[in-house]
Amino acid sequence: MPESTRERFERTIVALLDDAYTLARHLVRDEHDAQDVVQEAYLRAWRHYAGFRGGDERAWLLTIVRNCCYTWRRSARPAQQTVAYDDEEHGDQETSAFAADTRVLEDADRTELRLALDQLPPEFREAIVLRELEGMSYKEIGRVTGAPIGTVMSRLARARGRLQAALRIGAREAS
Amino acid sequence: MSCETTRERLSAYVDGELPPDEAAETAEHLASCAACAREYEAMLKTVQTVREGLVRHHAPDVLRARVRAALRDEPATARTAVRRRDWGVPWRAAAAALVVAVVSSGLTLLAADRRPAEPAVAEEVLASHIRSLMPEHLTDVRSTDQHNVKPWFNGRLDYSPAVPRLDDAGFPLLGGRLDYVHGRPVAVVVYGRRQHLINVFSWPADAGRDADPSRESGHGYNLLHWRRGGVEYWVASDLNATELQQFTTLLRSTDSTSTGAARPR
Repeated sequence: MPESTRERFERTIVALLDDAYTLARHLVRDEHDAQDVVQEAYLRAWRHYAGFRGGDERAWLLTIVRNCCYTWRRSARPAQQTVAYDDEEHGDQETSAFAADTRVLEDADRTELRLALDQLPPEFREAIVLRELEGMSYKEIGRVTGAPIGTVMSRLARARGRLQAALRIGAREAS
Repeated sequence: MSCETTRERLSAYVDGELPPDEAAETAEHLASCAACAREYEAMLKTVQTVREGLVRHHAPDVLRARVRAALRDEPATARTAVRRRDWGVPWRAAAAALVVAVVSSGLTLLAADRRPAEPAVAEEVLASHIRSLMPEHLTDVRSTDQHNVKPWFNGRLDYSPAVPRLDDAGFPLLGGRLDYVHGRPVAVVVYGRRQHLINVFSWPADAGRDADPSRESGHGYNLLHWRRGGVEYWVASDLNATELQQFTTLLRSTDSTSTGAARPR
């Protein structure tokens, strides 16, 4: 029996739910907001699925998720966009959320990393997530974020520079 | 090649994203410049730390269910951009759909030995009850006065539901609404009990003799169902079973006497 559109969508797109949710969590941070965003993204994906000509499903879906995250940031919570607010509001909550599935000894490092990530502009953060978690090439990241490859390159370089400073990783005894 | 240029390229070099000629230049410089080599090591360590430390989230089951339920609600063929829902609304609509999905799985066991029609109704009733707990969903007519609630249903339904007053027994009337259950519009009269809500569903029975209340439960809610005088009744609440039974007894004692039994018009 031939696979229906719905079955194909389920097999190829719904199967990427963890990826979608991970990106949303890193971009909007609050877990409930991230769930709302992901759900909206999947509805959009389904409505546009007929126009999807195949290819890289993950990049296609993450593009939609990413756009929904930005729509959410612009429309839903204009008051919450300041870095200071986010740190105050989400710090403890998110720490405890992932403390459950990581070893205690790693918590301090992870918290430090997360705080450092949260300080980054979203464009930097998404580049880092797409690169390090999704293993995307610069070209793929450019496709998802709508940025030229040169921009992707410089965003990643600057993001890593900032993370390196925040994590106090340094070239020792610089000459 | 300068140290400055090299350091600008380190990030892309680590990713293997430099054009071949630039990558070769960079490698050459790193082999001969200790300071840049240390910077390279630091960059490697940063990338590694971030890669290992970044949290990969697992979509919670509830999100999976929400997405599936929301998709199930969508038309079978994906159409282009029908903007049916605005921000904020999808959660509610999808939550209702989720409720149906969750309830479907939860009530299966309870209803396994029943006639095929009834579990579906129980699911719908429970879904409607849970949906009613969401903001702005509880009542269409909000009134503690039975003389407001009862007439409100007139003209909206082909029958008139009982709206007895049970305040004295500690079950204040909160209002009523129309809902859609079992393939037809039904009356729902809403009562309160402390912080709990009780939804009383009623509609003309298709057929069948009177049946005494039978209880079901699922997902922390209690349901009672009975049939009397040609009317189907369902009561749904998170109130404990004892008090809900008490409420039902009260309801049944009044609906045949005073303020009008539900009767087909």
